[in-house]
Amino acid sequence: MTATGELTYRRIHRAPPELLFDCMTTPEHLTRFWGPTGTTTPLDGIVVDLRPGGAFETTMVNDADGSTYTMRAVYAEVRRPDRLVWVEADVEGGMRTTVTFTDLHDGRTEVVTHQTNVPAAYLSAAAQAGFATSLDRFEAYVAGLTAERG
Amino acid sequence: MTVVDDGLSLVFAALADPTRRAILERLAAGSATVGELAEPFAMSQQAVSKHLKVLEQARLISRTRAGQARPCVLEPTNLDAATDWINRHRRVWADRHDRLDAHLAALRAEQRDGGAEETSAP
Repeated sequence: MTATGELTYRRIHRAPPELLFDCMTTPEHLTRFWGPTGTTTPLDGIVVDLRPGGAFETTMVNDADGSTYTMRAVYAEVRRPDRLVWVEADVEGGMRTTVTFTDLHDGRTEVVTHQTNVPAAYLSAAAQAGFATSLDRFEAYVAGLTAERG
Repeated sequence: MTVVDDGLSLVFAALADPTRRAILERLAAGSATVGELAEPFAMSQQAVSKHLKVLEQARLISRTRAGQARPCVLEPTNLDAATDWINRHRRVWADRHDRLDAHLAALRAEQRDGGAEETSAP
């Protein structure tokens, strides 16, 4: 039984992999889209040292009350334009985020974000239940059930 | 830990077992008795009853009082709660990619305006 969880998020964008890789690794791009809804990520709060072992930090500012949260990660793999891996060591056991960029050769790129060891704060319910299998298979399963029901 | 979260733990624990998931899939098609549920599995009714008890505790199913057979019925509310929970955690990435889309569109517009002067922007 492990207390880890996994999340995968897939998205297709109308852009070449090089541009998407740059968007994910350039402060001037990141400041435009990084922060979760209701927060902003100011340019001076972004650190990108784009090399294995280099820092990747983003400070997100809550629009409502000005409170801040800083994500501190270290790049583990930097392979433009295919693959980007960073690890958040602050998270117990280190949460690893892998982003892959796949050229679909029609002007579009599939971006797959895979997170392992998603922390207990995210997955408390799942972790407590010892639910260590892929959350995505579960999600698809639940979606299937809800569809059948409706 | 709130009551809601505790309920969710029971739901995730209940769903972690493939037999119980198969039982829920069967019940999604309509109510069934323990005997009917045991049929497709190489399992005694007693073993199936144990699984049903876990599902009942997670409030994923309920047992009707109608007659001796007491058919099982799917209870969708807690299943919806589990789906909501997953969706909340995916939303951070979904929103991020929505904004990335908007940013990419802005970049394309800039490129059009700056690069090809005889083509007017739409």
